[in-house]
Formats: sequence, C-alpha cells, structure tokens
Amino acid sequence: MSYIQVRDLCKRFYVRKKRSSESFLREKETIQALADVSFDIDRGELIGYIGPNGAGKSTTVKILSGIMTPDSGEVRVGSQIPWKDRKSYVKHIGVVFGQRMQLWWDVPILDSYSLLKDIYRIPEDAYRKRLSELSEALNLGDLLRTPLRQMSLGQRMRSELCGSLLHRPEILFLDEPTIGLDAVSKLALRDFLKWENQEHRTTILLTTHDMEDIAALCSRVMVLGHGRKLYDGQLQDLLRRYDRRRTVEIRYDRSGCIPVLPASVTMQREGDGFRLAYQPETLPTAELLALLQQAGSIREMTVQPQNIDYLIAEMYREMGL
Amino acid sequence: MNTLKLYLRSMGILLKCQMQYPLSFMLQTLAQLIMEGGEMLAVILLVDRFDHLNQWNAGDLYFFFGLMSVTFYLTECFGRGITGNFPYMVRTGQLDLLLTHPRGILTQVMCSAVDPRRISCIAVGTVSLVLGSRMAEVRWSPQNILLFAESVFCGFWLVLGLFLIEAVLCIHSVKSVEIANALTYGGRSACQYPVDVFPRPLRMLFTVIAPFALVMHVPASVILGKPVFGWPAWAAWISPLSGFAVFGFMVFLFSRSMRFYRSAGS
Repeated sequence: MSYIQVRDLCKRFYVRKKRSSESFLREKETIQALADVSFDIDRGELIGYIGPNGAGKSTTVKILSGIMTPDSGEVRVGSQIPWKDRKSYVKHIGVVFGQRMQLWWDVPILDSYSLLKDIYRIPEDAYRKRLSELSEALNLGDLLRTPLRQMSLGQRMRSELCGSLLHRPEILFLDEPTIGLDAVSKLALRDFLKWENQEHRTTILLTTHDMEDIAALCSRVMVLGHGRKLYDGQLQDLLRRYDRRRTVEIRYDRSGCIPVLPASVTMQREGDGFRLAYQPETLPTAELLALLQQAGSIREMTVQPQNIDYLIAEMYREMGL
Repeated sequence: MNTLKLYLRSMGILLKCQMQYPLSFMLQTLAQLIMEGGEMLAVILLVDRFDHLNQWNAGDLYFFFGLMSVTFYLTECFGRGITGNFPYMVRTGQLDLLLTHPRGILTQVMCSAVDPRRISCIAVGTVSLVLGSRMAEVRWSPQNILLFAESVFCGFWLVLGLFLIEAVLCIHSVKSVEIANALTYGGRSACQYPVDVFPRPLRMLFTVIAPFALVMHVPASVILGKPVFGWPAWAAWISPLSGFAVFGFMVFLFSRSMRFYRSAGS
C-alpha cells in the first residue's frame, strides 16, 4: 500500500456572477476545481505537480495538508485522513506557500523559530540539532538574528523552508516555492530540496510553473488541467511525446544568402543569420540540411531541442487547456 | 497550561514587533487617549446638565462607564486576534498557515495579535471607575471586589464571543460583514449607560442577545447598592456567567463553520 493514496477527489466552488440585466437574482457559477483526481505517492518520492493557473494544484495541496475538506473522494496519508483530526495529522507535514510567510515580520527569525518550537512541542535538544543542521544546509548563519523584513526574497524563502522543516515532517508540500527568485537562489533551493529528500527520505510534492525546477528535481510529474489529471509518469516520457520540433540557428559566409524552404518550416532573421524551427518527423534533418546548403556555404550552425516552457505550452494547447 | 505558555510567549514576540516602531506606537496610544477621553467627556457633560438619570446619579454613571471601558478595552488589547485581525486573515489566506499547525485555530488567532495601545483607554476607564466609586461611596468589601472581578472577567469572554459573530460570518462569505459591529461597538456605546434607561426593545437586545446587562449592569448595580430589575443580590453572582454562555455558543458555531472554510487565492 502506498504512503499517500488519493481516490476520486472532487471539489467544487461556487462563484457569484455579476448580476445580469435580465434576471434580478444573482446566479451562481460552479467551478469544478477537482474532478475525480486519483493518484498514489510512495514514501520518499519527489513529485512535480504542474498545470496552468487555476488547474486545481493549490486546491489539491490544501486538501492534502488538511486546510480544506473535499466534496467527495478519499485521501489517506499513512493511516490518517488529513481533514479529520487535523491537529494530529499536521504534526507530520510541512507546508510552504511561495506567496505567504508564516514567520513574524519584525523580529529576528530565531525568535520565530523558537515560537514554532513551542507550537509543535519540539523537545529542546531535537530542536537544537535540527536547527543547526538546517541552518548549515540552507546557509542561514548570520541571518538567524535578522528580522524577516530586512531580508531579500531568496533569504526569506530559505528562512521559511527552515521554519517549516524544524519539526522533521515526513511530507513537505511546496506551493510555488521558487516564485520570484533569482537564478542563484533558485539553484540553492533546488540543491537543498534534493538534499532533504535524500538525507531524510522526506516525501516532497512540488507545485510550480518553473519547468527547470521540475527537470532538475523530479523524475515523476503529474499534470493537472481543469481539475482533471491528464498525465502521471516520467518527465522524460512526457517531453518525448511533445518534443517534435528542433530549432536551428544558422549563419552563412555571405549575408545575402537566403535559403528556400517548405512552408512547414518557420524562419526568421536574427542578426546576420536565421533562426528556423522544423519538425524532423515531417522534414528529415538530412533533407533540411541539403536545402540549407543550396543557398550558400554555411559558416556556423547549431541545432537545439525545444525550450521546455514551449513544450509545456504546446502540451497544454493539445490537451485543450 | 502549555497553551497559556504559548500565548504568553506569543505576546512577548508581538510586543517586541510593536516596539520596533516606538514613535508610531506613542502617537497611536495618544490618539486612543483622546478618543476615549472624548467618550468620557460625553458622560461628564450629561451629568453636568441633568445630574441624574432615573435613579442613577453622577457617581453611578461614572462607575458604569468605567466598567464598560475597562472590560471592553482589556478584550481589545488581549483578544486583538479575534476582535481585529480575523477577517483580514481569512481574506488574505493567512488562516491557511495557522491550519497547518498542530494547535487549535482560536488559540492561534488569539496568539496572533495584541494591541497595547489600548492601555490609554483602559486608563481612562480606571480613572472613571475610581471617580465613580468615590462619589457613589462604594464600600470595597471582599465580596464586592470579587463580584467586580467576576464581572470584568465574564465581560471579557462576552465581548470576545460577540466579536466571533463577525468571524463566523466572514468564513461563510469571505468578505467581512459589518452587521456584527452593531452588537460589539454598538453594545459598548449603549451599555456604558445602565440598561434600564433604554426603551424595552433595546433592553431586551442587551439582556437576551448580547447580555451586557446581565454581565455588567446587574453586578455593578449590586455593588452600587441599587439592584437593577429588582433582582435579589445573589442573582448578581450568576448572571455574569451568561458571558461564558455566549462565548461557548459562538465557539461551537465557529468550529462548525470552519468546515465550510474555503481558503482564498492560490
């Protein structure tokens, strides 16, 4: 039996429509946030959960972390049901919302941590050990004596992560943790999550829009759209399915050369060269190369796989999202 | 006991937060002093013009005003999480974070805010109480002291309970509804005067629905030696408990409502 079991999860929201001119009464609009979503997660997995805005990712996280009650369906984490007996359940989980801070704004984060210690009833020695481990892994050091309001966004996110892991949760839910972070902070965060996952076998469910996050961390992804689960499996398989285009950048010896290509290839000028996109399935690379060479002698040329964000956008489009 | 410790430690941290902005704190405390001083001035002017209201003379009126002011602002000071912040926490989804902690929601909401600026309002109330009890020649026997303490203590929970109405409403409709203010702030303004000066519908409202009369006026009138409603003195020991009843009922409604909590935003 797997660690987290989700079966036929449904959640609807009612949104009041603006009063229309014909009818006097306000109409209610139903939004199906989750429709029969089922999945299993094993202990120690690191899973990416993706989908466009409004797909139902946050709703899933909120149900799994005991914040919300679903309309129907079953969820079992270990032997517990999140929304029943919330207090004993949430001892075993950590939640980080990328856009909400749980630490106090105006006091050094060390004060916030010691209050969290009281909230979670963590024994003193366990707390000390865990704090020193986390502050080293997250490189907090001097930051411990700094109030949150004086920190950069990246520092804040690291502090938040530390705060949500002090009680050694078995599962960590992350809702868009890298939102707004710079490259260095993102990389540091990814390294840390990998470390925490391997070192403590912490199960991590990560929702994000940053495909680089997913590619760097998760072997398994779930795709959600309009409240339905559309894909669940290896990231590589998913990419292969949609990865049909290649991008070519090419520069000729003389700038006057213009290749003549079939309509299936898109081409645009870029600097003194061209950027084209083609599909090897419809136009084999050898044929394209022959056509390109007819236009003149090639100085340099690169062939690249498609950017992962384009892939996902295309995937959403094909799935009708 | 652990909960009380958590509350005290949270208060410590929150006060530390507030003291990061000392000037703002001082100015706001001063503003509160002027506001509550103005309220008291209204009573002073009233007494100056009429010198008594039904059977209540100046000292009695100061006493009633002081009792309400001390009780209400003690609640606003220490229960700020419920009296002030809760609707905001629901609207911004801050409540989600509390739900991920292994503690009761009301406990954590209580721990989330304190309002030390109210100290100036409490001071005004205390002055009025002292003045009133001098003028009305209240005898501070151990019994009277105990009765007074009971009234303030039960009043604290009554006011918290009334503020929970707004909390419950805003869980259901997310955007807060001001209707509850009629009972909380409206109750405070009206019931700084003894309840029997009002017409019957208002008297019913503040006895049965928001029982300020039972929690404050009945014991206060016994302390002043002029029992209201013609009730016997022992009734004054029982009637303040209605404050707990209101609080308990609202906590029950609150926990039922939390099942419908929908959270907000992403």
